[in-house]
Amino acid sequence: MSNSPLIQTIDLHKTYETGTVATPALRGVVLELREKEFTAVAGPSGSGKSTLLHLLGGLDRPTSGEILLEGRPMSTLSKDALARLRMTSIGFVFQAYNLIPVLTVLENTAFVLELQGVARAERIERARRILSELGIDQYADQFPQRISGGEQQRVAVARAVVSEPSIVLADEPTANLDTVTSLELIDLMRRLNRDKGATFLFATHDGRLLDRVNRLVTLVDGRIASDEVRDSA
Amino acid sequence: MKAAIRHLIRNRRRSLLTLLAVLCPVYILVIMFGFASATMNDMFDTVTRVDTGHLQIRHVETRASGSATPLIQDPAPILAALAGTEGIEWSTVRLDLPALASAGDRSRTVLIQGVVPEEIDPISSMRSRIVEGAYITSDSPGVIVGKEFAALLQLEVGDEFVLLGAHPEIGVVALRVPVVGIVDVPIAELGRSVVQAPLALVRELARSPSAATSVVVRVAGVTGTWDTDTIDAVAQNLRAALPSDYEVLDWRDLVPQVEVYMRLLNPAIAIVAAVFFALGALVVLNTVYLSVMERTKELGLILSLGASRGHVVRMILTEAALLAAVGAAGGAVAGVALILLVEALGGIPLSGDFQLFAKAMGMSPALHLRVAALQTLLAASAMAAVALLAAWYPARRASHLEPVEAMRYVE
Ligand SMILES: Nc1ncnc2c1ncn2[C@@H]1O[C@H](COP(=O)(O)OP(=O)(O)OP(=O)(O)O)[C@@H](O)[C@H]1O
Ligand SMILES: [Mg+2]
Repeated sequence: MSNSPLIQTIDLHKTYETGTVATPALRGVVLELREKEFTAVAGPSGSGKSTLLHLLGGLDRPTSGEILLEGRPMSTLSKDALARLRMTSIGFVFQAYNLIPVLTVLENTAFVLELQGVARAERIERARRILSELGIDQYADQFPQRISGGEQQRVAVARAVVSEPSIVLADEPTANLDTVTSLELIDLMRRLNRDKGATFLFATHDGRLLDRVNRLVTLVDGRIASDEVRDSA
Repeated sequence: MKAAIRHLIRNRRRSLLTLLAVLCPVYILVIMFGFASATMNDMFDTVTRVDTGHLQIRHVETRASGSATPLIQDPAPILAALAGTEGIEWSTVRLDLPALASAGDRSRTVLIQGVVPEEIDPISSMRSRIVEGAYITSDSPGVIVGKEFAALLQLEVGDEFVLLGAHPEIGVVALRVPVVGIVDVPIAELGRSVVQAPLALVRELARSPSAATSVVVRVAGVTGTWDTDTIDAVAQNLRAALPSDYEVLDWRDLVPQVEVYMRLLNPAIAIVAAVFFALGALVVLNTVYLSVMERTKELGLILSLGASRGHVVRMILTEAALLAAVGAAGGAVAGVALILLVEALGGIPLSGDFQLFAKAMGMSPALHLRVAALQTLLAASAMAAVALLAAWYPARRASHLEPVEAMRYVE
């Protein structure tokens, strides 16, 4: 299993049509992601980072090309099947607004487990465990608006990994955080990657985070400009 | 569920608006039904107690010929049939006779009601309307007359006047009768022509010792206006037991306008209900729609995380259902509470003309309300259902949001 790629994209194109204007966001992306990788997608604004992550996460469909997730083509999946796939196989961390305001930190963390139909006792147990692993279990019963932005993003990471998805996709998870907090969040993700073997792919245009990754994909104008594997600390 | 409640608390004002949109129609309808139900019962009660009874037994020719002369020469076979029929609560013989009343040089045509005072007294309001003198008894030779009649003929209690009856064979029959009581009836026209006398006295005027125009019957165990089956069953048995020259009429035959009123009232309320429901539904649709718009980002997030469309629909509908249930129950409880309160205080007294009208219609002079259990339940559950239906459209819209676009949405 670890020999075959977790995700494989074949000549991925995405063009946004707004009225008469067509914006090509991705123009032929070929990418393979393997299990346990900790990959950053870098590139200037508008280079297609978010678009790529949305396609990989089944939030949107490519204009042409194919994505294979664990060998299975995503283009054949119906809308509902894509939703199920997101629920079972993908963990998401967004730039902001990751948490449901009326749910506590614990409930937010357990939300995907709830969607999966995990029994109440078990999902609370699992959510508590991950929160304490990430050192934020003291906020378990708080509502999101009562905790800081950095803490909110940590909860989002907890929520993304608690269901043990195939991959966690994080789109500029640190964009709203200061440098110290950003580094702390990346380190947290890195630790989960090392200790639990969680696969991460995150988009960023913050160069300071890039020495933490073991693979760096750079997008320029919707194409992969470079793809380097690093030996990071 | 917990999340739904938190949502509702977070948006207190909108939740309250939705709640009221459900509560108010139910509240108003419960009271309207309460009023209708009380009015109908009141009317039914008055009509069937004093006027027509539940059933009346008459001679078949009464209606056909419009005859003024008593067609029942002897009610004995009727009384025998009544004795042999089950489910009769009460019955009394009546003899109504047209006559000319005159005192001095003044005269007026009247319809004398010959009654057994002791039998009708417990359920008639006549005694309570006496303003002078006393109520009649079977062995008193006197009559009671309306206030206006007394004024017309310049009569006072104790005065005598002459009643002239037309007998088919004998010709004119005259009888001198004293006034023993004067009554104040609500309608002046009625007051000018009402004369009530003991049965024996009217029979004397008719020159027939056992004549009658009808036997008024009350059926036992009638629970209310809607309980026509009990009355119909007894009427059926009576028809079978009676000789063929008698007919059994029920109150609907005798005072069709009451039934017409009853028949019109419910559809009228139904139309009002439909309008209220539509308004309530619009408000619910609007508030739920607004709430969906406001939560576009959150819904986008939930959908991104892989929630199914069904999950989103259920989520929105759970909130709506909570408000609908609480609103409908609240409206029903508030409505019933108001009805009970009003009744505990003896009803809302009517003023002036309305009071006269109510009396004329045979209703009590106060506005009464009565808990209509079935209609209350119906109004509440129908409104709750309508509210849910109204919430369904925005819920569906919410479930069809595109997750990425929804998350990008800025208020
Ligand atoms: N929904 C959309 N409709 C139309 N054009 C879009 C849409 N989303 C993105 N684009 C365009 O597609 C291109 C790629 O956008 P994308 O958001 O993927 O870039 P990005 O690398 O994530 O940029 P940033 O660093 O600013 O987040 C841009 O030119 C953008 O304007
Ligand atoms: Mg982006």
